[in-house]
Amino acid sequence: MTASTVNAMNTVNAANALTAPGFPETEVRRRARDGAAAVFPPLADYGSAVYGAGPHRPPATGSADAIDAIDAIDALRLAPPLFMPGRLAKLIDLGREPLYSDVRLAASFGGLDSPLPVYVSALGSTRAANTSLGISRQAGRLGIPMIIGENVAPMNGFRTSGDEHRKGLLERIHAYLEELPDTVGGICVQQSTEDANSEVWNQVYSDPAVGELLATGRLAFELKVGQGAKPGLGGLTMISEAAVAGLDDQYAIERLVADGPVLRCSSPGTFTEEIFRQQIHLMRNNYPRARCWVKLFPGRDVGRAAEVAWQAGADAVTVDGAEGGTGWAPTAFLDHVGLPLAECLRRIDTGRGTLLASGRVWHGPRAVKLLALGASGVGLGRAALVAVDEDSEHGLERLLQALELEMKLLISALGKYATAELGHEDLWEASS
Amino acid sequence: MTTQIDRPLSTAMPVPDADILPLPRLHLADPRTRATLRIQQALLAGAREHLRAGGSVEMAHPIIGPVTDPGSRGAKQADIDFYGHHYKLMTSAILYKQASLLTFDRIFLVAPNVRLEPIETSSTRRHLAEFRQIDVEVARATRDEAMDLVEGVIRHAVTKVLAECAEELAALERDTAALQAFVAAPFARIPHGEVVERLRAKGYPQAAGTEIEWQAEELISRDAAAPFFVVGYPKGSRGFYDKESTEDPGTLLNFDLIAPEGCGELCSGSEREFEYAKIITRMRETGENPAKYAWYLDVVRNGIPNSAGFGIGVERLTRWVAGLDSVWQATAFPKLAGVVSP
Repeated sequence: MTASTVNAMNTVNAANALTAPGFPETEVRRRARDGAAAVFPPLADYGSAVYGAGPHRPPATGSADAIDAIDAIDALRLAPPLFMPGRLAKLIDLGREPLYSDVRLAASFGGLDSPLPVYVSALGSTRAANTSLGISRQAGRLGIPMIIGENVAPMNGFRTSGDEHRKGLLERIHAYLEELPDTVGGICVQQSTEDANSEVWNQVYSDPAVGELLATGRLAFELKVGQGAKPGLGGLTMISEAAVAGLDDQYAIERLVADGPVLRCSSPGTFTEEIFRQQIHLMRNNYPRARCWVKLFPGRDVGRAAEVAWQAGADAVTVDGAEGGTGWAPTAFLDHVGLPLAECLRRIDTGRGTLLASGRVWHGPRAVKLLALGASGVGLGRAALVAVDEDSEHGLERLLQALELEMKLLISALGKYATAELGHEDLWEASS
Repeated sequence: MTTQIDRPLSTAMPVPDADILPLPRLHLADPRTRATLRIQQALLAGAREHLRAGGSVEMAHPIIGPVTDPGSRGAKQADIDFYGHHYKLMTSAILYKQASLLTFDRIFLVAPNVRLEPIETSSTRRHLAEFRQIDVEVARATRDEAMDLVEGVIRHAVTKVLAECAEELAALERDTAALQAFVAAPFARIPHGEVVERLRAKGYPQAAGTEIEWQAEELISRDAAAPFFVVGYPKGSRGFYDKESTEDPGTLLNFDLIAPEGCGELCSGSEREFEYAKIITRMRETGENPAKYAWYLDVVRNGIPNSAGFGIGVERLTRWVAGLDSVWQATAFPKLAGVVSP
């Protein structure tokens, strides 16, 4: 919230005789002052803040209901049993009492191998995701798979943008590869409907820069159907008025403030079962040497969509819960739209294929719970950004070091020593 | 609906050798090049004769435009800055071919195409980044009629080469009796599913829902006694303009012509989608954004005839007829994926 907004709010009651206790008066007044700009978080924060639903961000509309429902995963408790045949098996295997350090976290999901069941979620073109290549380097060093957001190439360029704050797609790939150990990790490049114009996948697939990744089976492509923070909407990016020329036939343009940046809204793309199925077939047909991933927003038919994707041959389905993060979204979408991640996982038959989950993941408990709910890997989005903002050289590495230890402690406490052993029996829900 | 089978990804990464192509001065002065290009000239003359005799009109189509055939199998389009507008070099003439049926019922052209194919195609011996096609489109034709026409064009062109290029064929040590035999009988028409089964029976892990892979195509081509058509590729393997069968949804009314002797595909064609709503839906199924096809969709929305058509690769046809080892030998100035050449 900007200082001027706060000042304006503080002066509201002095200037206006009317009060409306119990009614979201402050928000109505903000809209009355700012119009369409009030649909979004304060503009001044664009590019330096990331958003998402959750208890740490008070709901803009004053309704706490949506938030309570969304945090069903935090509400779950990990529930170790007293009797542990799994630990006995490990004891027999080791010939000594197992320790938390015996937990094996190495994972394989969507065709990629990773030392942890963790990947870096798609981080887009907004400035927050761009100020350094620190994420790419650290993810590469760790050998954690990394997804590159769908709007990076169209907004920041394929090779380079020439702008220190907007790193092009290949720059991110190079930074990642420079650090990447042999045999683990991999790069996943997103494309969505709008970027079909930029033919990101075709460009990547035939570029010599990814030759090594292709040769070692470590390149994946992800069809982006949507994201958790704004289900049903396409990409939203603030751009300068000067950059609008030539874009207005392709994007919707919203002028939220006078003489300021304008909002560029992409189409979300139209999907039916058949469109979705055929797009996956075409990905597999056209890029036979790349892994095929799809990213779903938390829609009510997410279970059916995951099923269609797996049947069509997708190597992994990523589902981003409504609590997923974003660089920019209308507050109404953050607070009121989309299924929480826990509900998505309930609706998906996770035994049918590889499922990856993202949304407010930053520490061990949430990661372990998601794995117990059927995910094969969890995505770090905002957590990775914040960690690298804290320390651009080693922030992400340390965050993952903490995550790794926490996960080992938690999983061993459940009497298990591999992530694949986790299951619903490890969770307790207050209502159950 | 065909389904995919899981198979390991191929991890072989052939990198093109820098010396895969000879020096231009050596290639141009090579008597084999000279013989090849004369054969190619006769092939083109034969194709033109046959098409014109059937009432087709030869047209010239754009080399650049705001949009081109979305292509397939990872081929990249080449961009052109057209006075500040984003244009493409043509990867095929398909959109213009359909539109041209507003002018004539039967059209053809010998069209240059640029497809920045994936690097691995540099070693398939049958991919060029720059090539030409004998492109044909016929209003109100069915797939069978289109295949009849392909057959007619090839038979006539090959017969002309046999009649006029004995010296060149001899210089290249081409077995003319075999060539004659190849075009003597009608070309077989085999469903895609049957080809997949044959490949699997031979131990090749071909997926059912996709294009016949390059290696697999070479395999079936080697086994073939004569050119044959593969018909009915699954949806998801081809562009939005290949018409989907109404009787057998999920299967396209298309075909490829496969040459014998390991040369693989010479020609692709199909009946076309021509109805606006179907084209838009198919565009989405192939991941395309309809907005960039504005001029084409305006033409389609106002009505184009149903049609069928095809494109025969000039260099591929030449390679096969001349009995060459690689397709690049069938052009004076070859361009291979990832290889720098003039």
